[in-house]
Amino acid sequence: MRHHQGVGTRILTVEDDERIRTAVKLALEDEGWQVLEADNGEEALALFRREPADVVLIDIMLPGIDGFEVCRSLRRNSDVPIVMVTARDDTHDVVAGLEAGADDYLTKPFAPKELSARIRALLRRARTTEPGVSRLTFGDLEIIPEQGRVTLSDDDLHLTKTEFRLLVELASSPGRVFSREVLLERVWGYDYFGDGRLVDVHIRRLRTKIEADPANPRHVVTVRGLGYKLQS
Amino acid sequence: MADDAPEVLLRPRRRLGLRSRVVLAFVVGALLVSGILAGVAYTVTRNNLVDTRERTGIRIAASNAAAVRAQLNVEDVDPAEILLTLSTPLQSVPTLRLGSDSWLTADPLRFADTDVNVLLLGQVESGQPSQMRYRFSNAPFLVVGVPLPDRDALYFEAIPLRDIDDTLQSLGIALTGGAVVSTIAAAMLGWWAARRVLSPLEEIGEAAEAIAAGELDTRLEAETDRDLGRLTGSFNLMARTLQQRIERDGRFASEVSHELRSPLMTLAASMEVLNNQRDEMPDRAQTALDLLTTDLVRFQGLVEDLLEISRFDVGAVNLQLSRFEVAEFVRQAVGVAGHEVPVTYPKRVEGLFIEADKRRLARVIANLLDNAEKYADGATGVEINRDGDTVTITVLDEGPGVPLEEREAIFDRFSRGVEGGRRGTGTGVGLGLSLVAEHVNLHGGTVMALPRDDGAIGTRFVVTLPGVAR
Repeated sequence: MRHHQGVGTRILTVEDDERIRTAVKLALEDEGWQVLEADNGEEALALFRREPADVVLIDIMLPGIDGFEVCRSLRRNSDVPIVMVTARDDTHDVVAGLEAGADDYLTKPFAPKELSARIRALLRRARTTEPGVSRLTFGDLEIIPEQGRVTLSDDDLHLTKTEFRLLVELASSPGRVFSREVLLERVWGYDYFGDGRLVDVHIRRLRTKIEADPANPRHVVTVRGLGYKLQS
Repeated sequence: MADDAPEVLLRPRRRLGLRSRVVLAFVVGALLVSGILAGVAYTVTRNNLVDTRERTGIRIAASNAAAVRAQLNVEDVDPAEILLTLSTPLQSVPTLRLGSDSWLTADPLRFADTDVNVLLLGQVESGQPSQMRYRFSNAPFLVVGVPLPDRDALYFEAIPLRDIDDTLQSLGIALTGGAVVSTIAAAMLGWWAARRVLSPLEEIGEAAEAIAAGELDTRLEAETDRDLGRLTGSFNLMARTLQQRIERDGRFASEVSHELRSPLMTLAASMEVLNNQRDEMPDRAQTALDLLTTDLVRFQGLVEDLLEISRFDVGAVNLQLSRFEVAEFVRQAVGVAGHEVPVTYPKRVEGLFIEADKRRLARVIANLLDNAEKYADGATGVEINRDGDTVTITVLDEGPGVPLEEREAIFDRFSRGVEGGRRGTGTGVGLGLSLVAEHVNLHGGTVMALPRDDGAIGTRFVVTLPGVAR
């Protein structure tokens, strides 16, 4: 067996097709991850309560409660990175999955190596520009990268890991415009052809948490046709 | 698909449109009716006028002839005087021949002996009272001849018919005018009626166009008119059936998509597990594994293409537009497609942004490069250019070229050209270029296969895209 950086990292795969589940489990174990399995939503939620995983992989089409609902339930009390798996790459499924709280998505059939790359990107710690900087302040918004904390008017905000990394990325150069491509590469680890909707949906979710009025954002603003920036 | 199917034509083609034909029918009908009416009116009036005039003329001529006959008996009366005393209420001119060639006339300027028709003269000479209608001195006349045998004389009277002619001419003009006016009115009526009748057809035409353009829930309003009700009813039924069928096809494609992707997922994951242990396998197993891996990739590509095509067929496509720098994009797309091809562009393309669907455009470039790989030993260059509001991306090769008659057909599905018969490693099934055309058309652009214009042998595939961002 080869040894990898992610030894000890646990991945929960929620998939009703036993063949796919087994094949994906084998491939992920080859990458060095530890894999937990669930074949329906209820079981996945119960298992997660007993043994929290580091990453959750959810198939959208599940018997009983569907993948979107599993995703929303997990999000209520966890910021665990979630990857949605869809058999249809139509816009509706992708956006609905991201809106439900997923951090990334993959379309079947995908190469397990691609999945590993996505997982590694999601598990990466948030980077700070200068190690010495302990807190960044933007008006009523305060970011403490070392502790992974964000406060708005001194109240703690609950951001997912991906939302937090997105915010820290924008905060690394206040006032600079980040294109979707750059954010996709730095936050999600995608190449040039990543899906810009990932950025758009996450920015939208981030705004509902850090903006007083998400429809008229004052911190994270859109620069039409170019991307996003954090107002200094 | 639909292009090759023989179409069912309900009616043979006609040269004139329906509206023109209705108008024409109205015009012909009006012409016929007004023509016949005018003709009958003219004839009846004419006969009436002429008959009356003839009867009156003959009566007067007969009584004048009797008067002449009576007075010729009286001595010392100049026969010329007799003629002047005759009553001529119709402005007729009495003429008398005494003996065999002595002519007397009341008005030689209007009616002289030379004006007497020879046939009429002959008849009267033979003792037969006669009349004849003919023209002299540029005017129509009725000439009545009465023989007076016991006086050795012939009496003639020329009754002018000019006023009748004038009347008839006025009548003719009036009737012709009437016919013309009623024909024009009929043409207008026909045009209006045709428009009225055809307006539901136009609505149906517009609805059909809307459906063809993808608005499948287009329906016609229910008609209260009994005749039109059936048409709108059956049209709506057709539209509903069509919509249901397309939606069913769409669901089918989506289900097939799921059914195909699941086993492919298992295959892909298992194949990777096997490949992780490839080094520990015997040579023969390694070779078999490589074959499996290559063909699985090929199979996945084919399934993806078929699913993409089926999405186009059910109209379930939408563009994911975003703005990006075209030169950077093309470089990236060429790189991701795994081809080492130089990308060149003039200075004016630097920093040029376009608005398009990245994924689709990347497929376009990848498929064109793959196509060059298969048929022309690889592309030799990719050029980007700008022409006003459009951007062209050209993929060049130095292959055998595309024959003129195949330049359009190569973008059809499952078309692999004449030499497409060769199906070596990695050759597709002819979906690549058809997908190129579909993706480009979706952007409102065009793609063409042209011979190279720089003197080299080979083909250039030119993709023209609108959407230069400002």
